Amino acid sequence: MSILTQLLVSGMSVGMIYAVIAFGFQLTFATSRTINFGQGEALMLGAMVGLAVVPFLGYWGTLPLVLMFGLCQGALVEKLAVARAIETRSDFGWVMSTIALGIIFKNLAENIWGRDDLKFPSPLPDAPLVLGGVHVLPMELLITAGALALMLGVEAFNRGTILGKAVIATANDSGAAGLMGINTPRVVTLSYAMSSMAAAFAGVLVAPVTLTGATMGSALGLKAFSVAIIGGLSSGLGVILGGLLLGVCEKLTGFYIATGYADVPGLLLLLLVLSLRPTGLLGRSALTKV
Amino acid sequence: MARHFLATWLSTGLAISTALCLVVPSAVSAQNAEPILIGVSAAFTGGSAAMGLSARQGIEIAAKEINAKGGVLGRPLKLVERDDEGKNEVGVQVAQELIDKERVVATVGFVNTGVALAAQRFYEDARIPVMSCATTGTMVTRQFLPPDYEHNYVFRNGLYDSLQAGKMVEEAVERRKFTRLAILADSTNYGQLGRADLESALSAKGVVPVAVEKFNIKDIDMTAQLLRAKQAGAEAILTYGIGPELAQIANGMAKLGWKVPLIGSNPMGMTSFVEIAGPNAEGARMVQSFIPDASTPRRRAFLEAFRTDYNLERIGNPPSAAQCYDAFYLLAAALAQARSTDGGKIREALESLEQPVEGVIGTYRKPFTAGNHDAFDPSYALIGEVRGGVIVSAHESDRPR
Repeated sequence: MSILTQLLVSGMSVGMIYAVIAFGFQLTFATSRTINFGQGEALMLGAMVGLAVVPFLGYWGTLPLVLMFGLCQGALVEKLAVARAIETRSDFGWVMSTIALGIIFKNLAENIWGRDDLKFPSPLPDAPLVLGGVHVLPMELLITAGALALMLGVEAFNRGTILGKAVIATANDSGAAGLMGINTPRVVTLSYAMSSMAAAFAGVLVAPVTLTGATMGSALGLKAFSVAIIGGLSSGLGVILGGLLLGVCEKLTGFYIATGYADVPGLLLLLLVLSLRPTGLLGRSALTKV
Repeated sequence: MARHFLATWLSTGLAISTALCLVVPSAVSAQNAEPILIGVSAAFTGGSAAMGLSARQGIEIAAKEINAKGGVLGRPLKLVERDDEGKNEVGVQVAQELIDKERVVATVGFVNTGVALAAQRFYEDARIPVMSCATTGTMVTRQFLPPDYEHNYVFRNGLYDSLQAGKMVEEAVERRKFTRLAILADSTNYGQLGRADLESALSAKGVVPVAVEKFNIKDIDMTAQLLRAKQAGAEAILTYGIGPELAQIANGMAKLGWKVPLIGSNPMGMTSFVEIAGPNAEGARMVQSFIPDASTPRRRAFLEAFRTDYNLERIGNPPSAAQCYDAFYLLAAALAQARSTDGGKIREALESLEQPVEGVIGTYRKPFTAGNHDAFDPSYALIGEVRGGVIVSAHESDRPR
């Protein structure tokens, strides 16, 4: 029994890592129907910038700086890679250009910080807590709390501020929002900025338990993309559900079937969702009227 | 060939008729003679850069020392260094460039088994000796064995997988008397070939592993693998993977509050393992070919060269540096014995080295024969242990050979 709970807890904490990255995909998709395929690299940059300033400001002091950095980095990605594609109604231009920017960011980080994985100092003790026979790292609890806080924060921003209302309006109907005087291109820039901010935040959050290095984003970004597809690109709650499902699936399969097959059920789930509910588990199906 | 004669003639000042003898002149004239070009192909960037850079530094220090003593055959040795990026296709391009454009007489290097296997064919075809000094794949020296090929031009001075697996099993089963062992290996070629070597080394001792688990590069959580090993009652874990993921295993064990000895292959000595796992790395043991200590004058000078030439207090990857340093000395000895830069003659000389060659790992006496192109035998492998954040020799008896 304690093994099952241990697997569930470990799976859920890994799942929350996936979810917080996937949350960034959801933010930009809602307003612009585009996705930053360099999301993993945005996470990596956040972690690396955090690592660079952590010796001076301490873990908590770096957070605001990293959030600011994420905002700027996201806005830059949108300006360079996405704005023109949306303007010219290019269907897939942004796919390649966000991937390209991601690769550039990765190479940049490799040249600045090297290719080795580094240790990110943990703000909390490394010793595990034992709760009812289940071992959990304090940092894993912080990741879960941080991820939830971030999503709630973004949600509160969207509901409570005029800028946030503009984001919701654009997400609901970009054309109508434009006619109502909302500067939709600027809202898209904002959503990219917030998406990269979420990723950068996720970066400093997960860095103490994962490996920190120029290549840390690639694998995580891909996992997060499956999570976004499974949960539904248009639902914030969906990505949490998708993340938890994928994380728990991986651990259970790894233990009860074989560790070599740990990734398979997640991908099967992805295929299943795509064939039965293409919009994701909690995604709203968009009606296209002709 | 014409340039070759001319250079010898110029350097020695002897008549053309005596130039064939290639007498060894003084150190002064060596500086003016036509240099002998030796290729260096290794990953200076990319995932294996830590090993590749240490390998290059080892080779550069050896070349500098040899040149300071007058070079070989009265000619200085000049390195032609190329970054193969750890990529097979780049390795192939580098091989072609070094052979056809630079016209090297031999090449040293390689840190990736895949790159070595892809690039060696060109050296074999061109009859140019190639010395692997940081690859581990058992296949590397066995790709062109006679009678399928007339001669094998591939040599190695380094730990190969079947040797490492044997040493790990010896440590676990014979020295420490463990009978319930789990294997955790990564899903790359490196990890899976190593796992197969481990399983066969274990079965030779009549031991069947209680759990054989796999993990992926960049995996961030090892709970499932470790719980399976724990449930199976493992007394120790044998690993075949590289530094960062091995650190995740050590950290994962600490998280689960389950600590059994870790015994790993060579990459467990990587700085990334020791740094990322921190206190959880303590006590982990791994196969090494060289553990930096100033126990012999040769080793003192070697460590001093890293300090003065590269400003390094600690060598990035000591085994790669030491293996490649020694490999370069073996090659230089073969050049001197062959009295020629002809590939076939160098190969023959390597296969029948008459003089012992002193390196930092030990003294090599007839390291290669026509049938055996691996200089290492099990006596070259040591067991290292992480103590206080550095790797030290685990057993007193593991003294320099």
